[in-house]
Amino acid sequence: MQYRHVQVIDCKGAVHGIALDGHGRLYAAGDSGIKVFDAAGRFNERWPTSKPALAVAVASDGAVYAGEAGQIEIFDGAGKLLNTWRDAKLLGRVTAIGFTQDSVLAGDAADRAIRRFDRGGKFLNNIGKDNPVNGLLIPNGVVDFGVDAQGVIYAANPGKHRVERYSPGGELLGHIGRFDGLDPAGFTGCCNPTNVAIRDGIYTTEKAGPRVKAYDFSGKLLSVIATDLFDANCKNMSIAVDARGRVYVVDTVKAAILVFEQVKV
Amino acid sequence: MNEDLTRRDFARGTVLAVLAGGAAFLVKKANGQIVWQVNAARCINSRLGDTGMEACNLCTTECVVALSAVRAVNEYSKCGRCNICPAYFNIASAVNELGQPSEKLCPRDAIARKPIGKVDPEDPANNFYEYIIDEEKCDGCGKCVMKCKEPLGLGSITLRVRYDRCVNCNYCSILKACPQNALVQLPIGQALST
Repeated sequence: MQYRHVQVIDCKGAVHGIALDGHGRLYAAGDSGIKVFDAAGRFNERWPTSKPALAVAVASDGAVYAGEAGQIEIFDGAGKLLNTWRDAKLLGRVTAIGFTQDSVLAGDAADRAIRRFDRGGKFLNNIGKDNPVNGLLIPNGVVDFGVDAQGVIYAANPGKHRVERYSPGGELLGHIGRFDGLDPAGFTGCCNPTNVAIRDGIYTTEKAGPRVKAYDFSGKLLSVIATDLFDANCKNMSIAVDARGRVYVVDTVKAAILVFEQVKV
Repeated sequence: MNEDLTRRDFARGTVLAVLAGGAAFLVKKANGQIVWQVNAARCINSRLGDTGMEACNLCTTECVVALSAVRAVNEYSKCGRCNICPAYFNIASAVNELGQPSEKLCPRDAIARKPIGKVDPEDPANNFYEYIIDEEKCDGCGKCVMKCKEPLGLGSITLRVRYDRCVNCNYCSILKACPQNALVQLPIGQALST
């Protein structure tokens, strides 16, 4: 599998997290707001958040969730604030949000865990917390994860150089990935991969040097999508994949989103 | 008799006053003493933005003190206690049977590591480690500093002048060679706290 770089979307400001909705619209969380881009990558509008936005996700009903320090703000598809879930303890620093069929998941980097809530905001259980080191190993300071169609959660555990699979109830089901500084199939440095997205496979980003890769669900490396297009000082590069297989990756230094598409051979 | 006592007391008081004054002078002088320190924001091994290059070792080669007065220091409050520490391991070396790099980074083996808390024997990746720099071995070559800085690491290791070794040259010989002008003179209190 090969990819080519097809677009740069200039975000004109910090970008910490990105997400796509069912119509191909792109949402970027950063500074104190959510920026919305159309499917062609054109800037449409900006919704202010009450605190710096660290993560964004779009639910199946079109509601847009913004992760922040101590809270999640929920907007409708037009940017109207619907609700705010506040919990200084469970939502210390929300750096990722995702959904299963009946629950909302929030990555809390302050406590190195993923929190599971019901759709009304009631806390159900932790994910990635029940282990000898009491959480995910994130020296990079960000919890990130993706969710597959069956509701299995794929959490980046960079300190272990793995992507771990969890049930919604928090049971560790397995993992892919291993440390290797030479083999591109491995993850290198102190702590990689930092970010993950799930679509038809597992997509990861790494820091130092920045690298974007695609794996199948068994952990087999399918493609090194990109390496040298990003600023060398990038880290915690949020990633999203659309229904057409286009891969969107944040360059955190240039404050831009780079888009890649698969080359048909 | 009384006069003798008075004279003795006066003499004793005078001596004590001179000693106290001298001590106060020395303390004041020490606080105001100007010493050399490495400015981490200038040093190419630690300053942000410079990646993918070999570490600069001028602090090792240019210092007039044997083995250099500059040492790598790990600030534990910033250290990630990583399982695979790029300042401890040569992360570009082949992976061993434990799934870790087979080589260490430090040419003088000056960094030791020990597990924190209960060790998980089933999974070596499941542990935190403390990284301790042996100042008797470290010669300030900067390799670990370069690998510890962000984004590869967390920047907890920096080069520092050790005042038990530095002879406080009038014009630091490292500074003479340093293209970044990274050696600076500071009051000792400030040098210790920066």
